[in-house]
Amino acid sequence: MKQNKLLMSTVAGIALAAITSPAIAGDVYGPYPITLKGYNGDKTDSVSYSGQIGRQLLHNSLKKAIGSGASLDVTMSYFNGADGELALLDPKSGDSFKVDVTDINTVSKTNLSGKAYKGSLPGWPGNMTGKEVLESMINMAAATEKGYDATHGYDYGQLVSKFTMGGVFYHQACDNYLDEKMNADNKPNDKPYKDGAYYTGKEHSWDEAFGYWGAAAHGATLSPKQNYDITKKKNMRDADANGDGVVNLKSEMNYAHAYYAAGFDKGGNTSYYNTITTAFINGRQVIADANGEKLTNPQRREVKRHARTICSNWEKVIAEAVFKYAGSVYSNIEAVKATMGGNMWRVNGSAEQAEHQAALRKYAKYWGELAGFSLSLHTSGVDLGEIGVKMDRLVGMGPVMPDGTQVNGMSNGAYTLANGESMDGFAVHMLKLQNLMVEEFGVEARNNDKISGISNLAEVLGSGNSAEND
Amino acid sequence: MIEWLDIIWSDLASQFFNPKKRLFLGYLLSASVIATVWLCLIKRHSIGSAIRTFFDRKVWFSRSSRHDLASFLINRVIFFWLRPVLLTQLAIATLIFELLHQQTVIPLGLFEGAGYWTAALSFTLVFFLFDDFTRFVVHFALHRIPALWDFHKFHHSAETLTPLTVTRTHPVEGLVFTARSALVQGVTIAGFVFLFGNQVDLLTIFGVNIFVVTFHGLGSNLRHSHIAIRYPQAVERLLMSPAQHQLHHSQSERHYDRNFGVTLSVWDRMFGSFHHSVSETLSFGIGKETARFTGSIWSMYWLPVRSLARRLARVCLANARPITRAIPSFRARNY
Repeated sequence: MKQNKLLMSTVAGIALAAITSPAIAGDVYGPYPITLKGYNGDKTDSVSYSGQIGRQLLHNSLKKAIGSGASLDVTMSYFNGADGELALLDPKSGDSFKVDVTDINTVSKTNLSGKAYKGSLPGWPGNMTGKEVLESMINMAAATEKGYDATHGYDYGQLVSKFTMGGVFYHQACDNYLDEKMNADNKPNDKPYKDGAYYTGKEHSWDEAFGYWGAAAHGATLSPKQNYDITKKKNMRDADANGDGVVNLKSEMNYAHAYYAAGFDKGGNTSYYNTITTAFINGRQVIADANGEKLTNPQRREVKRHARTICSNWEKVIAEAVFKYAGSVYSNIEAVKATMGGNMWRVNGSAEQAEHQAALRKYAKYWGELAGFSLSLHTSGVDLGEIGVKMDRLVGMGPVMPDGTQVNGMSNGAYTLANGESMDGFAVHMLKLQNLMVEEFGVEARNNDKISGISNLAEVLGSGNSAEND
Repeated sequence: MIEWLDIIWSDLASQFFNPKKRLFLGYLLSASVIATVWLCLIKRHSIGSAIRTFFDRKVWFSRSSRHDLASFLINRVIFFWLRPVLLTQLAIATLIFELLHQQTVIPLGLFEGAGYWTAALSFTLVFFLFDDFTRFVVHFALHRIPALWDFHKFHHSAETLTPLTVTRTHPVEGLVFTARSALVQGVTIAGFVFLFGNQVDLLTIFGVNIFVVTFHGLGSNLRHSHIAIRYPQAVERLLMSPAQHQLHHSQSERHYDRNFGVTLSVWDRMFGSFHHSVSETLSFGIGKETARFTGSIWSMYWLPVRSLARRLARVCLANARPITRAIPSFRARNY
């Protein structure tokens, strides 16, 4: 009996140790040694991406500020940055989840506006650059109640949040740091990133891209559910990799697209989070191994190969989100129609009216997420060509409202509307959008799939091509 | 070159190793067992005699059977090139599914609460009935529309029947069959997913439609064979026996245009083309035309095309008359 108890205790101890053991070296992003030639300071770790974490916190807080009805001054302070203390609104410490930051400026005094996409976005009204689109959205949000524009079906909190992830983070990583900054003469590895820096040009460029990706440094050692729950603040134990009793927001939190990747991977069909995070780790190791020398051509090819893995999978994560929210919008069109009995004139009683308004609110939320993600796909520096045009047309510049109106442009700072549009037709657009994401981006997680019934049945029935008589 | 040869080879192999295909080895085996048992128990053959009868060289190695094999191989190559341009059931289903959203009479997800088994059983049954009925309709049309009959002669010119005769099909006919299949699948899939949602499934055995497995497993391959298995008359009124289909191939005038059905014979009863199986020995082919039509494998492919060209030429030359009068009217075949 005693022996059994001992055996059980040993097994349990081993199992517990396996579960709670610190991150496995090699699967963690950093620390990496100082390799810069001639550096005489006392730094021992060359990893640095606090500016990017600062922007992740600005993004989280900006979304929270818009959703809570903060004034334009406050919301703009999260977009443009501010002097003095800039309160962190999300993630904040709770009873079971403690974070180590309350003032964003203690992480990095930075802004989102300076890094926003400056190319044009034909998918949004007003013929503006990405940066102007974000400014316009934040300004428009200030004139609404908690960021919800019921007339046009806009949820600015979602629009700003999802497009910031793409128009700042994805854009900066894949159109800048992992793109031209990986060229031979741009930010070379035998020179500091800037005067006085303790890291090389290539080291810091790579680190900055990792910071925009938003994964916890030890995220590759965790399961998709563990990573997902960290962002949801449900999992203090797995987040706190160094065991100091608090979640270090610089290295122990999952943000933005990394969180979405973990969400998709939870379904078991994909492994975006680990593929991308591991490519970051492997690419950084190649740079560290160059030991402060200029990267050789084979080394640069290797680094670029990892960069391609990162950006192609990152694009798929965003396409998965477009697929998912197209499905949500489709479902919500049906939900909105259900509150009208198929006819808006039937919405008369106050209870029905409340139900109808609640359905519209959700419809706007999901369309906002859809639009924010789809606009993001344009910002990586890769011209999507016809695919991008098709996608923008299907998403529309606004959701089709029950009265048949839909935003189709902007004139003198005000939205212009098309009339006579059909919500049923818009639902079909969502189906086509899901098809487009499957055919052009090869999405595999396929959350909220509204077309799988058809493709699954077609597959099980088999090809109709036949040269057989009966 | 190597790549497409590889694809064609895979396609060939799948005809015998994929249980979705009629020529799957398992179905051929079950057919031969059923035939042997039939010959022994009903026709009172000894085992040896039954096997000798079933594997009759005069049937399996006849000139007609060699044509079956040649057309089987040629058609695989032709369809390898045609397949990419054919409209798939997926494209049709997607299009119809989207169109259904534009109408306002039937609400989306009308039967969404029906439950998995109701949805799956309904889909499987409706698909089987719709599929079998449209096969009957197409087959009827192939016989009754002269321009189509020219192409269907390719199949009926067989003078001996073996399971491979099922693939003795002119490519133009093959296109008609493909279009029918894609349309039926597309319409059924779209309609059911629209009404029942994504829970719709097909009831299967080993991943294959339960009705397909049953039909093929119970000897569908004997329809094209010299083993005239007959069902009791009551059963033949519901299900098409192999002997009834062999009667369909008979070149005796009194058997013309009978038994177009595939699995069910009820369609023939509804449309007046039903005929019970008969005990007499039948001869197969297309009468006096057989010899000329099957002069070579190439004449089998070419003659229907030439006939169609002549028909079209006649229509063009007759354009002085109203076009409607120039289109050949529906009539029974006349050989």
